[in-house]
Amino acid sequence: MIQAAEQQKPELDLTDLAERNDERIPLKDVIALAEKVTAALKPLVRSLDRSMHQELREILGAIEGLRSELSRVDANDIFAKRIPEMGRELGAIVKATEVATDTIMNVAEQVLAADKSDPEKYAAEVEQHMMAIFEACSFQDLTGQRVTKIIHTMEVIEQRIEVLCRMIENNNIAPVSTGEMSEREKRNREKLVSGPAHEGEGVSQSDIDAMF
Amino acid sequence: MALDRSMRILIVDDYTTMLRILRNLLKQLGFENVDEARDGHEAAQLTARAKYDLIISDWNMEPMTGYELLRHVRADATNAHVPFIMITAESATENVIAAKRAGVNNYIIKPFTTEVLFAKMQAVFEKQMAG
Repeated sequence: MIQAAEQQKPELDLTDLAERNDERIPLKDVIALAEKVTAALKPLVRSLDRSMHQELREILGAIEGLRSELSRVDANDIFAKRIPEMGRELGAIVKATEVATDTIMNVAEQVLAADKSDPEKYAAEVEQHMMAIFEACSFQDLTGQRVTKIIHTMEVIEQRIEVLCRMIENNNIAPVSTGEMSEREKRNREKLVSGPAHEGEGVSQSDIDAMF
Repeated sequence: MALDRSMRILIVDDYTTMLRILRNLLKQLGFENVDEARDGHEAAQLTARAKYDLIISDWNMEPMTGYELLRHVRADATNAHVPFIMITAESATENVIAAKRAGVNNYIIKPFTTEVLFAKMQAVFEKQMAG
Protein backbone atom coordinates (compact mmCIF):
# COMPACT_ATOMS: atom_id res chain seq x y z
CA MET A 1 0.00 0.00 0.00
CA ILE A 2 2.85 2.31 0.91
CA GLN A 3 4.68 1.33 -2.23
CA ALA A 4 1.58 2.23 -4.27
CA ALA A 5 1.40 5.63 -2.60
CA GLU A 6 5.03 6.27 -3.37
CA GLN A 7 4.36 5.46 -7.03
CA GLN A 8 1.42 7.89 -7.19
CA LYS A 9 3.08 10.80 -5.39
CA PRO A 10 6.47 12.47 -5.75
CA GLU A 11 8.95 11.59 -3.01
CA LEU A 12 8.37 13.38 0.30
CA ASP A 13 11.01 15.00 2.39
CA LEU A 14 11.07 17.14 5.58
CA THR A 15 11.04 20.40 3.61
CA ASP A 16 7.80 19.34 1.88
CA LEU A 17 6.16 18.56 5.19
CA ALA A 18 7.31 21.83 6.74
CA GLU A 19 6.06 23.85 3.78
CA ARG A 20 2.60 22.29 3.97
CA ASN A 21 2.10 24.09 7.31
CA ASP A 22 -0.62 21.56 8.02
CA GLU A 23 -0.93 19.88 11.39
CA ARG A 24 -2.87 17.00 9.82
CA ILE A 25 -0.09 15.10 8.06
CA PRO A 26 -1.32 11.72 6.86
CA LEU A 27 0.10 8.70 8.66
CA LYS A 28 1.26 7.12 5.41
CA ASP A 29 3.46 10.18 4.72
CA VAL A 30 5.01 9.94 8.19
CA ILE A 31 5.70 6.21 7.69
CA ALA A 32 7.14 6.83 4.23
CA LEU A 33 9.46 9.49 5.65
CA ALA A 34 10.50 7.22 8.53
CA GLU A 35 11.38 4.47 6.06
CA LYS A 36 13.46 6.91 4.03
CA VAL A 37 15.32 8.08 7.12
CA THR A 38 15.94 4.50 8.22
CA ALA A 39 17.25 3.57 4.79
CA ALA A 40 19.55 6.59 4.77
CA LEU A 41 20.90 5.73 8.23
CA LYS A 42 21.50 2.05 7.49
CA PRO A 43 25.12 2.40 6.26
CA LEU A 44 25.95 4.59 9.27
CA VAL A 45 24.35 2.14 11.73
CA ARG A 46 26.20 -0.75 10.03
CA SER A 47 29.55 0.99 10.38
CA LEU A 48 28.78 1.96 14.01
CA ASP A 49 27.75 -1.61 14.66
CA ARG A 50 31.07 -2.89 13.24
CA SER A 51 33.21 -0.45 15.26
CA MET A 52 31.20 -1.08 18.47
CA HIS A 53 31.57 -4.78 17.94
CA GLN A 54 35.31 -4.34 17.50
CA GLU A 55 35.58 -2.21 20.64
CA LEU A 56 33.49 -4.64 22.67
CA ARG A 57 35.73 -7.49 21.52
CA GLU A 58 38.79 -5.50 22.66
CA ILE A 59 37.18 -4.77 26.07
CA LEU A 60 36.30 -8.44 26.41
CA GLY A 61 39.89 -9.36 25.60
CA ALA A 62 41.20 -6.91 28.19
CA ILE A 63 38.78 -8.23 30.84
CA GLU A 64 39.83 -11.81 30.08
CA GLY A 65 43.49 -10.77 30.38
CA LEU A 66 42.82 -9.08 33.73
CA ARG A 67 40.87 -12.11 34.94
CA SER A 68 43.71 -14.39 34.01
CA GLU A 69 46.29 -12.17 35.76
CA LEU A 70 44.04 -11.71 38.81
CA SER A 71 43.70 -15.47 39.13
CA ARG A 72 47.51 -15.56 39.46
CA VAL A 73 47.25 -13.15 42.45
CA ASP A 74 44.99 -15.71 44.20
CA ALA A 75 43.75 -13.30 46.88
CA ASN A 76 41.75 -16.06 48.54
CA ASP A 77 44.91 -18.07 49.15
CA ILE A 78 46.63 -14.98 50.63
CA PHE A 79 43.82 -13.98 52.98
CA ALA A 80 42.43 -17.40 53.88
CA LYS A 81 45.68 -19.30 54.21
CA ARG A 82 48.97 -17.43 54.07
CA ILE A 83 48.30 -14.37 56.27
CA PRO A 84 46.55 -16.37 59.06
CA GLU A 85 49.44 -18.85 58.92
CA MET A 86 51.94 -15.99 59.35
CA GLY A 87 49.92 -14.78 62.35
CA ARG A 88 50.08 -18.28 63.87
CA GLU A 89 53.85 -18.47 63.29
CA LEU A 90 54.41 -15.05 64.87
CA GLY A 91 52.24 -16.02 67.83
CA ALA A 92 54.29 -19.19 68.27
CA ILE A 93 57.52 -17.15 68.15
CA VAL A 94 56.26 -14.78 70.84
CA LYS A 95 55.18 -17.74 72.97
CA ALA A 96 58.50 -19.61 72.51
CA THR A 97 60.61 -16.57 73.40
CA GLU A 98 58.38 -15.90 76.41
CA VAL A 99 58.75 -19.48 77.68
CA ALA A 100 62.52 -19.44 77.11
CA THR A 101 62.94 -16.06 78.81
CA ASP A 102 60.87 -17.25 81.75
CA THR A 103 62.96 -20.44 82.08
CA ILE A 104 66.27 -18.57 81.85
CA MET A 105 65.16 -15.97 84.38
CA ASN A 106 63.92 -18.65 86.78
CA VAL A 107 67.30 -20.37 86.55
CA ALA A 108 69.19 -17.08 87.00
CA GLU A 109 67.12 -16.27 90.09
CA GLN A 110 67.79 -19.75 91.50
CA VAL A 111 71.54 -19.33 90.91
CA LEU A 112 71.53 -15.94 92.59
CA ALA A 113 69.59 -17.31 95.54
CA ALA A 114 71.64 -20.52 95.86
CA ASP A 115 73.46 -21.27 99.09
CA LYS A 116 77.15 -20.48 98.58
CA SER A 117 78.35 -21.83 101.93
CA ASP A 118 79.21 -25.25 100.47
CA PRO A 119 81.35 -24.53 97.37
CA GLU A 120 81.11 -28.09 96.02
CA LYS A 121 77.33 -28.27 96.32
CA TYR A 122 77.03 -24.73 94.93
CA ALA A 123 79.19 -25.61 91.89
CA ALA A 124 77.07 -28.69 91.16
CA GLU A 125 73.87 -26.68 91.46
CA VAL A 126 75.19 -23.93 89.19
CA GLU A 127 76.27 -26.54 86.62
CA GLN A 128 72.81 -28.09 86.64
CA HIS A 129 71.21 -24.68 86.19
CA MET A 130 73.59 -23.84 83.33
CA MET A 131 72.41 -26.97 81.49
CA ALA A 132 68.81 -25.78 81.90
CA ILE A 133 69.84 -22.46 80.30
CA PHE A 134 71.43 -24.31 77.34
CA GLU A 135 68.21 -26.31 76.89
CA ALA A 136 66.08 -23.20 77.02
CA CYS A 137 68.28 -21.54 74.37
CA SER A 138 67.15 -24.18 71.84
CA PHE A 139 64.15 -21.88 71.23
CA GLN A 140 66.38 -19.95 68.82
CA ASP A 141 66.47 -22.91 66.40
CA LEU A 142 62.67 -23.23 66.35
CA THR A 143 62.00 -19.52 66.12
CA GLY A 144 64.61 -19.30 63.34
CA GLN A 145 62.71 -21.94 61.35
CA ARG A 146 59.42 -20.15 61.93
CA VAL A 147 60.93 -16.83 60.82
CA THR A 148 62.21 -18.55 57.65
CA LYS A 149 58.66 -19.77 56.92
CA ILE A 150 57.33 -16.23 57.41
CA ILE A 151 60.00 -14.83 55.07
CA HIS A 152 59.00 -17.39 52.42
CA THR A 153 55.31 -16.42 52.73
CA MET A 154 56.22 -12.75 52.49
CA GLU A 155 58.13 -13.50 49.27
CA VAL A 156 55.06 -15.23 47.79
CA ILE A 157 52.84 -12.27 48.71
CA GLU A 158 55.46 -9.87 47.32
CA GLN A 159 55.48 -11.72 43.97
CA ARG A 160 51.69 -11.51 43.76
CA ILE A 161 51.65 -7.84 44.64
CA GLU A 162 54.17 -7.36 41.83
CA VAL A 163 51.65 -8.94 39.43
CA LEU A 164 49.01 -6.49 40.64
CA CYS A 165 51.44 -3.57 40.25
CA ARG A 166 52.20 -4.63 36.66
CA MET A 167 48.48 -4.83 35.92
CA ILE A 168 48.01 -1.35 37.33
CA GLU A 169 50.89 -0.02 35.21
CA ASN A 170 49.76 -1.79 32.02
CA ASN A 171 46.23 -0.49 32.37
CA ASN A 172 47.25 3.08 33.19
CA ILE A 173 45.39 2.99 36.48
CA ALA A 174 46.57 5.88 38.60
CA PRO A 175 47.32 4.66 42.12
CA VAL A 176 44.91 6.04 44.70
CA SER A 177 46.62 6.90 47.93
CA THR A 178 44.38 8.38 50.59
CA GLY A 179 47.34 8.96 52.90
CA GLU A 180 44.98 8.23 55.78
CA MET A 181 46.52 6.90 58.98
CA SER A 182 45.09 3.94 60.85
CA GLU A 183 43.75 4.43 64.38
CA ARG A 184 46.92 2.79 65.73
CA GLU A 185 49.14 5.11 63.65
CA LYS A 186 47.18 8.17 64.85
CA ARG A 187 47.49 7.01 68.47
CA ASN A 188 51.22 6.38 68.11
CA ARG A 189 51.78 9.76 66.50
CA GLU A 190 49.87 11.56 69.24
CA LYS A 191 51.71 9.71 71.98
CA LEU A 192 55.16 9.95 70.34
CA VAL A 193 55.42 6.19 70.01
CA SER A 194 57.49 4.82 67.15
CA GLY A 195 59.11 1.73 68.67
CA PRO A 196 62.73 0.66 68.66
CA ALA A 197 64.95 2.33 66.08
CA HIS A 198 67.15 0.31 63.72
CA GLU A 199 70.89 0.24 64.20
CA GLY A 200 72.42 3.59 63.33
CA GLU A 201 69.06 5.38 63.55
CA GLY A 202 67.71 7.39 66.46
CA VAL A 203 69.67 9.08 69.20
CA SER A 204 72.50 7.17 70.90
CA GLN A 205 72.85 6.89 74.68
CA SER A 206 75.94 9.11 74.54
CA ASP A 207 73.96 11.80 72.68
CA ILE A 208 71.27 11.59 75.35
CA ASP A 209 73.89 11.75 78.11
CA ALA A 210 75.19 14.96 76.55
CA MET A 211 71.66 16.40 76.64
CA PHE A 212 71.32 15.63 80.34
CA MET B 1 67.99 13.16 98.90
CA ALA B 2 71.02 10.94 98.35
CA LEU B 3 70.94 7.57 96.62
CA ASP B 4 69.87 5.27 99.43
CA ARG B 5 69.57 1.47 99.18
CA SER B 6 66.36 1.54 101.25
CA MET B 7 64.60 4.04 99.01
CA ARG B 8 61.17 3.15 97.63
CA ILE B 9 61.25 2.68 93.88
CA LEU B 10 58.34 2.29 91.46
CA ILE B 11 59.11 0.44 88.23
CA VAL B 12 56.62 0.68 85.34
CA ASP B 13 56.58 -1.51 82.25
CA ASP B 14 53.88 -3.40 80.35
CA TYR B 15 56.18 -6.40 79.84
CA THR B 16 56.30 -8.61 82.92
CA THR B 17 59.68 -9.91 81.74
CA MET B 18 61.07 -6.36 81.75
CA LEU B 19 59.64 -5.74 85.20
CA ARG B 20 61.32 -8.93 86.37
CA ILE B 21 64.65 -7.94 84.78
CA LEU B 22 64.49 -4.48 86.37
CA ARG B 23 63.55 -5.90 89.76
CA ASN B 24 66.50 -8.33 89.62
CA LEU B 25 68.97 -5.70 88.44
CA LEU B 26 67.86 -3.35 91.21
CA LYS B 27 68.12 -6.22 93.70
CA GLN B 28 71.69 -6.89 92.53
CA LEU B 29 72.42 -3.19 93.06
CA GLY B 30 71.03 -3.46 96.59
CA PHE B 31 67.60 -1.90 96.05
CA GLU B 32 64.88 -4.24 97.28
CA ASN B 33 62.07 -1.82 98.18
CA VAL B 34 60.51 -1.98 94.72
CA ASP B 35 56.86 -1.77 93.59
CA GLU B 36 55.62 -2.61 90.10
CA ALA B 37 52.99 -1.18 87.75
CA ARG B 38 52.04 -2.45 84.29
CA ASP B 39 51.16 0.88 82.69
CA GLY B 40 51.04 4.60 83.38
CA HIS B 41 47.50 4.48 84.71
CA GLU B 42 48.30 1.80 87.30
CA ALA B 43 51.45 3.73 88.25
CA ALA B 44 49.45 6.96 88.66
CA GLN B 45 47.10 5.14 91.05
CA LEU B 46 50.08 3.88 93.08
CA THR B 47 51.70 7.33 93.25
CA ALA B 48 48.41 8.75 94.53
CA ARG B 49 48.47 6.27 97.42
CA ALA B 50 52.19 6.04 98.25
CA LYS B 51 55.22 8.29 98.21
CA TYR B 52 58.06 7.06 95.99
CA ASP B 53 61.69 8.17 96.00
CA LEU B 54 62.27 7.19 92.38
CA ILE B 55 60.12 6.24 89.39
CA ILE B 56 61.64 4.20 86.56
CA SER B 57 59.25 3.90 83.63
CA ASP B 58 58.98 2.57 80.10
CA TRP B 59 57.50 4.91 77.46
CA ASN B 60 55.37 2.73 75.19
CA MET B 61 52.48 1.40 77.26
CA GLU B 62 48.70 1.32 76.94
CA PRO B 63 46.41 2.93 77.86
CA MET B 64 48.67 5.50 79.54
CA THR B 65 52.22 5.93 78.25
CA GLY B 66 55.31 6.66 80.35
CA TYR B 67 55.40 10.17 78.89
CA GLU B 68 51.81 10.77 80.02
CA LEU B 69 52.70 9.36 83.45
CA LEU B 70 55.66 11.75 83.64
CA ARG B 71 53.40 14.72 82.86
CA HIS B 72 50.81 13.46 85.33
CA VAL B 73 53.42 13.11 88.07
CA ARG B 74 54.94 16.54 87.37
CA ALA B 75 51.49 18.13 87.49
CA ASP B 76 50.81 16.62 90.91
CA ALA B 77 52.15 18.87 93.68
CA THR B 78 53.05 15.98 96.00
CA ASN B 79 55.02 14.12 93.32
CA ALA B 80 56.26 17.00 91.20
CA HIS B 81 59.86 16.57 92.37
CA VAL B 82 60.07 12.76 92.44
CA PRO B 83 63.08 11.68 90.33
CA PHE B 84 61.85 10.08 87.13
CA ILE B 85 64.01 7.96 84.83
CA MET B 86 62.67 6.85 81.46
CA ILE B 87 63.94 3.47 80.19
CA THR B 88 62.71 2.98 76.66
CA ALA B 89 63.35 1.80 73.12
CA GLU B 90 61.98 5.17 71.89
CA SER B 91 65.15 6.89 70.70
CA ALA B 92 63.78 9.59 68.40
CA THR B 93 65.22 13.03 69.18
CA GLU B 94 61.70 14.46 69.55
CA ASN B 95 60.95 11.90 72.27
CA VAL B 96 64.05 12.78 74.29
CA ILE B 97 63.36 16.51 73.90
CA ALA B 98 59.68 16.09 74.85
CA ALA B 99 60.61 14.04 77.91
CA LYS B 100 63.26 16.55 78.97
CA ARG B 101 60.79 19.41 78.60
CA ALA B 102 58.24 17.46 80.64
CA GLY B 103 60.78 17.15 83.45
CA VAL B 104 62.37 13.72 83.10
CA ASN B 105 65.57 13.40 85.13
CA ASN B 106 67.34 10.91 82.91
CA TYR B 107 66.70 8.81 79.84
CA ILE B 108 68.04 5.32 79.17
CA ILE B 109 67.82 3.57 75.80
CA LYS B 110 66.99 -0.15 75.78
CA PRO B 111 68.87 -2.46 75.81
CA PHE B 112 70.87 -1.24 78.79
CA THR B 113 73.28 -2.65 81.34
CA THR B 114 73.22 -2.68 85.12
CA GLU B 115 76.16 -0.26 85.08
CA VAL B 116 74.27 2.25 82.92
CA LEU B 117 71.19 2.00 85.14
CA PHE B 118 73.23 2.57 88.29
CA ALA B 119 75.24 5.40 86.70
CA LYS B 120 72.04 7.23 85.71
CA MET B 121 70.49 6.71 89.15
CA GLN B 122 73.64 8.11 90.73
CA ALA B 123 73.70 11.05 88.31
CA VAL B 124 70.07 11.92 89.07
CA PHE B 125 70.56 11.94 92.84
CA GLU B 126 73.90 13.74 92.67
CA LYS B 127 72.26 16.46 90.59
CA GLN B 128 69.37 16.66 93.07
CA MET B 129 71.82 16.99 95.97
CA ALA B 130 73.75 19.71 94.12
CA GLY B 131 70.56 21.53 93.13
